Amino acid sequence: MTQEITFWVLAIIAVLGALVAVRRRNLIHGVFALMIFFAALAGLFLLLLAEFIAAVQILVYIGAVGILLLFAIMLTERVTGDDGRRVTARGWFWGLVAAVSVFIFLLLPAIQEADLPESAQSIQPSVKALGHKLMNPYVVTLEVLALLLAASLIGAVAAAQGVREKKEGTNDA
Amino acid sequence: MNLDLIKDILVATVPLLIIFPSLFAFTTWLERKALARIQNRIGPNKVGIPCTRISLFGLGQPAADGIKMIFKEDIVPRGADRLFHLLAPILALIPAMLVLCFLPLDFSFFAFWDEGIAEDIKAVQSFALDGAVIFFFAITGLNTLAIFMAGWASRNKYSLLGGMRAIAQMVSYEIPLVLSAVIVVMYVGSLNAEKIVLAQDTLWFVFTPWGLAAFVIFFIAALAETNRSPFDLPEAESEIIAGYFTEYSGFKFALFFLGEYIAMFAISGLAVVLFLGGSLGPGVTVELVDGAKELESAFAGLPIIWLLAKIFALIAVMIWLRGTLPRLRVDQLMAFAWKFLLPLSILNILVAGFAYFIPQENIGPKVAVWTVSLGILYAAAKGLNSLNRADVKPREYKYAE
Repeated sequence: MTQEITFWVLAIIAVLGALVAVRRRNLIHGVFALMIFFAALAGLFLLLLAEFIAAVQILVYIGAVGILLLFAIMLTERVTGDDGRRVTARGWFWGLVAAVSVFIFLLLPAIQEADLPESAQSIQPSVKALGHKLMNPYVVTLEVLALLLAASLIGAVAAAQGVREKKEGTNDA
Repeated sequence: MNLDLIKDILVATVPLLIIFPSLFAFTTWLERKALARIQNRIGPNKVGIPCTRISLFGLGQPAADGIKMIFKEDIVPRGADRLFHLLAPILALIPAMLVLCFLPLDFSFFAFWDEGIAEDIKAVQSFALDGAVIFFFAITGLNTLAIFMAGWASRNKYSLLGGMRAIAQMVSYEIPLVLSAVIVVMYVGSLNAEKIVLAQDTLWFVFTPWGLAAFVIFFIAALAETNRSPFDLPEAESEIIAGYFTEYSGFKFALFFLGEYIAMFAISGLAVVLFLGGSLGPGVTVELVDGAKELESAFAGLPIIWLLAKIFALIAVMIWLRGTLPRLRVDQLMAFAWKFLLPLSILNILVAGFAYFIPQENIGPKVAVWTVSLGILYAAAKGLNSLNRADVKPREYKYAE
């Protein structure tokens, strides 16, 4: 009973957050609404006893992605968030087609084929089990991912350095 | 809704909501008094018990401050975003209070009149999340958002500068903070705060070479995370007029203040749990009960006293540093995080791995591990220091001899 109430409250918050994030013209309001959506999603994960995924959801999506978005907005001229320009959405038809087809061809088969346990208590997903899985069968995937991230990090540093040198050159000339 | 659930929620949260705000009041008094002594002043010494002449070393000052804050006019700038201006102080307080749940605080002895309630508190709080440490870091990160929100919503350039400084600083210092905590997590093999405390029954982690280095890095990063001096750039009064809370007055300002101090308690609490043996101390021992380690204390409430005493020791160091060190410059702040603390904390993980696999029963290997680990870390710190040092030329005076 309490779980159901919690689920519905979180689900409504998530949907409202997502809607506000899309509809608000004020960019900063949109980002914060998106964060509310992420937080509600983390709550839903917690309800499924997937505490580690909930923590990572907060850590990565709110802590990193959200702040990155704010940083990006700060670097544009629309720091104040106001955007009087009317943005008319033209591609709503194709957007609708894309959303419906994702639901029908991707989500629905996944839900139907998933082997769901009777109750949440019987799965026992713990940080330890996840760690063992990551270190034993999926270690190669993990290492490849780490390599990819390291490469992108080094690439970012290299790109930033290159830009600075160019600027200095133009200043001298 | 069943009443039991509401009761459980209340017994788990009410102690936190009473104890920490009252400790906050005491800490503001302590800080003002200590800073005053450092600066050769007297500090608050008039307000004591109302309507009497008893001043109690000015201990009534926090209450007087609170009353003043509540009755002050709440000024919202005309251009401000009213909703966000209101939400920011609340959002600053929530994560700070929330992370207190992840510390192993056992308040069950408060309900000494009713065994049932005490059992309930134990049951609720023994729902110690397996991932307490990772949750702690996830939720403390939200504090940054509140500060940014405040800075942005005030529609004031100094506030915005403060907010942007805060984001840059907190994102950078979170990395060494987490990396130095990771060492303890790796050593214990658990993210559970209680298990980390129990693993320190013979030796607190601060008394190991890697633990000492990690503790120092953690403490520096924690100072930056809580915007304490010398890392109080987001609220630098002399440069950007209190930064993100320039436009806050009255009770909203008090909420920011409360959030900041609760965050200090929380991060010091985590430092105590990770490195200073948590609630262990004389009178509190670890016993083996059915093959599982459990805390045994001489009397109920002793563990929490030890924990709070250690937290206050760290808070005292923070106050002392505030009275001693000048504020960093922005470029120094960033360079210190990325070019000094980050490489050092990564190296420290390797050192901890090396120390973990060397048996240290005898005094010989112990001394060897200590000297080698601290030697490596010292050499690395020296090396980083000389690498980072900018070429300083003798100053050229343009207009004066």
